[in-house]
Amino acid sequence: MSYWGLNFFGVIKHFFYTFASFIAGNCSIENLAIDEIQVLVLVFIGISCALIGSFLVLRKMTMLANSISHTILIGIVIAHVILQWFFFKDIEKPFQIDMQLLMLASFISSLLTLFLTDFFNRVLKLQKDASIGLVFTVLFAIGIVLVTIFTRNSHIGSEIIMGNIDMVHKDDLKIALFLLLSNVLLTVVFFKEYLITSFDSNFAKLSKISNWAFTYLLLLQTSATVIGALRAVGVVLVLALIVIPPLTARLYTNRLRSMILLACLTSALGAIIAVALSRHFLSVYGLPLSTAGLVVVCQFFIWGASVLFAPKKGVLAKYFFNAVSRVTAANPS
Amino acid sequence: MNKLIPFWEFFTDPVLQASTISSMLMCLASSIMAVIVFIKRRSLIGEALSHATYPGIALSVLMCAGLFTKAPGVFPFVLLIGALISSLLGMRLITFMEEKLSVKSDSALCFVLSTFLGFGVFFASRLQFSHPIWFQKIQMFLYGQAATMLSIHVILYAILTLIIALFVVFLFYQIQAIGFDKMYTKVLGLRVNLIESLTLILIVIAVVIGIRSVGVVLMSGMLIAPAAAARQLTNNLSKMFLFSGLFGVISGFLGNYFSVNLSIYLMQVRPLWRVSLPTGPMILIVAACITFLCLILAPNRGLVTRLYRRQKFQLKVLRENILKEMYKTGSGQSFIQLGRRHRIFAPILLIVVCLMRLQGWISKENKLYILSDKGTKKACRIIRLHRLWEVYLYTHLGYLAENVHKSAEEMEHIITPNLEKKLSQLLKDPKLDPHDQIIPAGDG
Amino acid sequence: MKKQINIKNLTVSYDRKPVIWDLDFSIPRQSCVGIIGPNGAGKTTLVKTMIGLLEPLSGEIDFFGKDNVEMKGKIGYVPQRKSIDWDFPITVFEVVQMGLYSTLGLFKRPSRREKERVLEVLKSLKMDQFADCHIGDLSGGQQQRLFVARALLQDADVFFFDEPFVCIDKTTEQLIIDIFKQLVSEGKTLFVVHHDLNTVKNYFDTVVMLNTRLIAAGPVEKVYTMENLTKTFGQGGLIFEEALNLTSKSQEGLKYNE
Repeated sequence: MSYWGLNFFGVIKHFFYTFASFIAGNCSIENLAIDEIQVLVLVFIGISCALIGSFLVLRKMTMLANSISHTILIGIVIAHVILQWFFFKDIEKPFQIDMQLLMLASFISSLLTLFLTDFFNRVLKLQKDASIGLVFTVLFAIGIVLVTIFTRNSHIGSEIIMGNIDMVHKDDLKIALFLLLSNVLLTVVFFKEYLITSFDSNFAKLSKISNWAFTYLLLLQTSATVIGALRAVGVVLVLALIVIPPLTARLYTNRLRSMILLACLTSALGAIIAVALSRHFLSVYGLPLSTAGLVVVCQFFIWGASVLFAPKKGVLAKYFFNAVSRVTAANPS
Repeated sequence: MNKLIPFWEFFTDPVLQASTISSMLMCLASSIMAVIVFIKRRSLIGEALSHATYPGIALSVLMCAGLFTKAPGVFPFVLLIGALISSLLGMRLITFMEEKLSVKSDSALCFVLSTFLGFGVFFASRLQFSHPIWFQKIQMFLYGQAATMLSIHVILYAILTLIIALFVVFLFYQIQAIGFDKMYTKVLGLRVNLIESLTLILIVIAVVIGIRSVGVVLMSGMLIAPAAAARQLTNNLSKMFLFSGLFGVISGFLGNYFSVNLSIYLMQVRPLWRVSLPTGPMILIVAACITFLCLILAPNRGLVTRLYRRQKFQLKVLRENILKEMYKTGSGQSFIQLGRRHRIFAPILLIVVCLMRLQGWISKENKLYILSDKGTKKACRIIRLHRLWEVYLYTHLGYLAENVHKSAEEMEHIITPNLEKKLSQLLKDPKLDPHDQIIPAGDG
Repeated sequence: MKKQINIKNLTVSYDRKPVIWDLDFSIPRQSCVGIIGPNGAGKTTLVKTMIGLLEPLSGEIDFFGKDNVEMKGKIGYVPQRKSIDWDFPITVFEVVQMGLYSTLGLFKRPSRREKERVLEVLKSLKMDQFADCHIGDLSGGQQQRLFVARALLQDADVFFFDEPFVCIDKTTEQLIIDIFKQLVSEGKTLFVVHHDLNTVKNYFDTVVMLNTRLIAAGPVEKVYTMENLTKTFGQGGLIFEEALNLTSKSQEGLKYNE
C-alpha cells in the first residue's frame, strides 16, 4: 500500500490501481497511504480554488483574494480568542483547524476585509489600490504580533505561508471534502447569479439580483477555502491555485462553463503530477522537496505550455496563423 | 529589572545601531518610491515585486550552500543581486502578461506574486532538512530580521538610498509629467521609456533593501502607507515626497523602538509570556497608524476636518435663517419663540444664539432678542443674494416664478461676494425680484 | 393605472456635485422620447436614476403610478457599448438569455420554451447565426443588437437606450428604428439618449432637453426649436456651474474662498 521507493511512473500506476480497486470495492478509506491522502486533499482543494478562482479572475477581484489570504491570520486569532473565552473551548494546539474555527474565522476575516477596504476607500477617500494594500498588510502585521504574543513563536507564520502537506492527515481530508462539496454546490446552484453579477452588475441590479450579496458570498467561499487549505498548501500558495488554473483554461476556450471545467481539470492534473514528482525526487534522488511548492511549479509549467501550444490563442498557433495569412496574401490563388 | 531603552541609545548602542539605521534608510527609500507608485495608482505592484524576490533569494542561498560551508563575506551582495534579478524577471513577466496576453492587471500581479513565491518555496525546500542553518537564512526573509544587520548592510543601504533620492531630485519634473499624462509626455519627446525603466529598477532596489528589515510579506505595506499619509497633507508633489520620506523614517525608527521597548515592558508585566516582538510588523503598524491619523485629522482633506466644516456650514445656515426671519418679523423674539419657529433643540439654539450675540448681530433686552444694526445689514445682504439668484434663474435659465424660491433658499448662504458681483453685473443691478419684491442694495 | 411617467424636482448628485438639478417633466405613455444635451449634461445619469441604479438626492419618479422599485423587471435597459467587458467568456445566446433572469427567480433554470424565445428574438434582429459566437467576435453594430435583444426578452413596459446609434452600420440602424416603431405600437414607452441633432425630428415624437437643469420637455414640433437648442448647448450657464461647484464644496466640508 505504501509508495515508498516508487518513481514517478510507479506512483501514477499505483495510484490509479488503488483508485480502481476502491471503486471496485476492494479497498477501504481507512487504509489510505499518505501520498493518496495528499493527492486527494490537493485535488479537492484545487477544484474548490478553480471554481471560485474563475469568478474572482473575471471580476478582477484576485487582489481581494490575496487580501483575504493575509487577513485570515487575524481572523483565526480572533476566532480562537472568541471560542476560548466565550465558549470555553480549549486550544490544544495552535492553528489546529476544526470546523467551528473554520466557519467563524472565515466569517470574521471576509467581513473585516470587505468592510475595512470599503471604509478606507469610501469614507476616508483613499484611492482604491492603496486601500486594498494598506488594509491587508496592516491586518497581517497585527496578526503576526498577536500570534507572537499568544504562541511565543514568531515562526509559526511561515508554516501558515507554506503549509505542511507532508504532515497531512485524514481530518484534513474531511475538511477538504466538505469545502469541495460546498463550493461545487454553491457554484452550481447560483451559477446564473454569479454569471450575471460578474458580467454586468447594472443589469443584475435591474433584475433584482443583489450584487453585494453575491460578492460577499464569493468572498466568504474564498475565505473558507483559504483557511481550509491552510495546513495543506499554506495561505499564499492557495492564491496560486486560485489564479493560475483559470488563466490557463482561458487560453483554450471562450465559454465560461468550459473555462471552469478546464480549470478544475488542470488543477487536479497538476496535483497528481506534483505528488508523483515529489515522491520521485524522494525515492530516486533522496531529496525531500516541498510538495506544495511543486504544485505551484507544475501549475506554472502547465500554464506556460498552454501559452505556447494552445490552439488558436497560443503563441505558436498565432505565429503560424500570421505566417499563413502573409503567404496567402502574397499569393492569392 | 530591565529599564526601557532611551531613544538615543538606539543610535549609539552597537547592537541596536545597525538595525535602527538600516531600517530608517530602508523606509526612506521605499517611502520615496511609494510616492511615484501612488500617483500612478499602481500601489499594489510592491506586493508582487516583493514576493518575486523570494526565488532569487532561495537560489542565491542554494548556490552559496553548495559552494561554501559558511556564509562568505560577499553573501549580502549575492543575496541582493539574486533578489534583484528575480524581481526584475517578475516585472518583465507582469508586463508580458498584460500587454501580450491581455491578462487583466490584478490577475497578472497575483499570478507573479504566487508563482514566484511557490518557486521560492520549492527551491528553499532543498535545504530544509539537509542544511537547516542555510534554510533559516532563506526563511528570515519572509518576515525580515532587522536585528541581525551588520555595518556592511548599513553602508550598502545608505548608498542605494542616496541613489534613489538623487534620481528623484534630478528627474522630478519628468516624473511628475509622466505620472500625470504619460502619452503627452511621450509626444513632447521626453525619453519616457528610459525613465520608466529606471523608475522600475529603483522600485525593485527599494523593495530588495526593505525585505531584509520587514520581510517579503510586509514590504508592500511600506510602499503604500507613507505615500498615502503624505497625500492627505498636501497637493504639491515635492512636498509629498518630503512628507512621505519623513513619515517613512519615523516609522523605521519607532518600529525598532517599540519592538524593543514593548518587549521589555511585556517581559516585566508578563514574564511568563516571554515575548519578543518582531521588528518588521511593528514598523508597518507604526506607518499605518500615521497614515490613519493623517486620513482622519489632515487639515484640509481629513475626515474630522471635513465633518467639522460641514457642521460649521450648517450652523451658519441656521444662524442666517434666524437672522432673516427676525428681520422680516421686525419685533423682538424670545428664546422659546425662536425655538418653536425654527424647530431646533434648546441646546443647539443656545449655541446659535450665543454665536449670533458674539458676532454682534443680535442683542438681548428684557428677555427678548432684537437685531442690531450689524445684524440688520447682514439680513439685508442675505435677502439681496436670495432675490438676485431668483432673478438670475428667472431671466437666464428659464425657470418659472414659482420654482425659483426653493433654489434661492439654498444659494443665499453660499454665494460669495465675488459671485455676487458677477451676478449683479450680469443682471444689471436689478431692483425687483420675480415676485415684485424690492432687492436690497449691495454694500449698505 | 395612470397614463403618465412623471418626474418631479429630481436632483441627483455625484460626489456631492449636482449632476441633475431640479428636473421636472411628464411623459405620456407610448411616447418615443429623445434625451438631448451636451456632454456631461446628466443624460446617462438621468437614465440610471430613472431605472433605479442611482439614488436621487431629492425628487420623485413615477411610472404610471408606481415607483421604480416596483417597476424592477419591467424596465428594459440597453447600456452604452463602451461600458461592457467584451473579453468576458460568454456567448451571444447566454447574454440574451439573461433577459429572463429577473422573472426566473433564484433556483430555476430556463425551460426549453424559454430558450426557443431567445432564438426567436435573435432571429428578429438577424443575429440567430451568431448565437454560439463569443461576444468579442462581433462587430459594433452586432454588439448593439445583442443588448437590444436582451432588453426585448425582458417583456418590459418602459425601455431605456443609452446612445444606441453611436458608431453602427446602416443595417443595424434601420433594425433598431423598426424595433422602436414596433415597441411603441405595442404600447411601450421608450427613452433614448441621443447625440445626433440632425435625426431627432425623424426618430422621436417627444424630446427632453437638458443641461444639468431642464431646458424644455414636450412634443418635438413644439419644443425642438433653435431657441431651446441655444439654451441647451450655449454658454449662459457658467455662473450656474460656478454656484453648483460652491454648493458641492460646502457639502463636502472642503474649503472655498469666502
